[in-house]
Amino acid sequence: MNNQQKLTQTFVQALGIAEEQVSDGLTYNTIKQWDSTAHMILIAELEDAFDVMLDTDDIIDMSSVAKAKEILARYDVQF
Amino acid sequence: MMSNSESMILKGGSVLVTGATGDIGRAIVNECVSAGAAVFAAGRNDGKLSALVNQYESRVIPLNYDVTDEKAVKEAFRQIQKQQNQPDVGPLMGLVNNAGIMHQAPLSVSTMDGLKAQLNINFLAPYQHMQLASRLMARHRHGSIVNIGSQVGEQGSSGLSAYGASKAALSGASRSLAKELAVVGIRVNTVAPGFISTELTAHFDDEARQEVESRIAMRRAGRAGEVARAVVFLLSKQSAYTTGHVLPVDGLFYP
Repeated sequence: MNNQQKLTQTFVQALGIAEEQVSDGLTYNTIKQWDSTAHMILIAELEDAFDVMLDTDDIIDMSSVAKAKEILARYDVQF
Repeated sequence: MMSNSESMILKGGSVLVTGATGDIGRAIVNECVSAGAAVFAAGRNDGKLSALVNQYESRVIPLNYDVTDEKAVKEAFRQIQKQQNQPDVGPLMGLVNNAGIMHQAPLSVSTMDGLKAQLNINFLAPYQHMQLASRLMARHRHGSIVNIGSQVGEQGSSGLSAYGASKAALSGASRSLAKELAVVGIRVNTVAPGFISTELTAHFDDEARQEVESRIAMRRAGRAGEVARAVVFLLSKQSAYTTGHVLPVDGLFYP
């Protein structure tokens, strides 16, 4: 599984949504499944999946799938 | 008498205890290990941390860092994040924010530096620990955070306004976080000790000790082990439906 697939699966599991719903344009609070509670679980799952510990500023900034990729790239996760 | 399986109420997971080398901290480590947990013991004194490791061998993992150093705290959690995957350690299921300081001073001679130091150690540091621990616990949808508050924070005490404020802030945050984190399976409770015989109260002479004990319904100081057993109860599934609670361990104290 490459990092893109890993990212997609993490969003699917954390938010409880279909794989087809995960796109770069998917944004926090635009679907009911991605609320503040799910965001916390998403962060926990991303940290686990990619073996990183995110800064609080990055967590605040992680407002979309595209942004998640951009932030994870700073932690040496390449897409 | 409890069977061995009944007493191992923390088996299969790990617990981070800050201030692990003080009297109450050591008692908490002892009770957690006895209950089957692996313990990340955080402290500043290498000698005392080594003593804990020697006593409990592989069940205690020492972490030497300053709880008020945000970067050091994050590095400590990074280490926990990696080590919790080891089968003999297990996922972080408990956090005990025990590290603290107490400066006694009336308002007229309280310094802002003293106030800030107590807020930093007694409130801001536990807050960051809760923030990072909750992320590790959220992965498993399970965890218990126990903050060591104080009856001074709950009831107030003359000459301890800064200390009381720092502990009241901690129990206030605990109540709110209990509501916020319940949805991801994390409980947050506070243990509020009264007058406990530790190195912090060792300077009380007989007269001062008797004066304090006269304000305790049970007429004696508490013991570190009594605080520790309350902590383990709140860490364990025995308190599975209890969150946002402040549990006094004080012999009914009027500070």
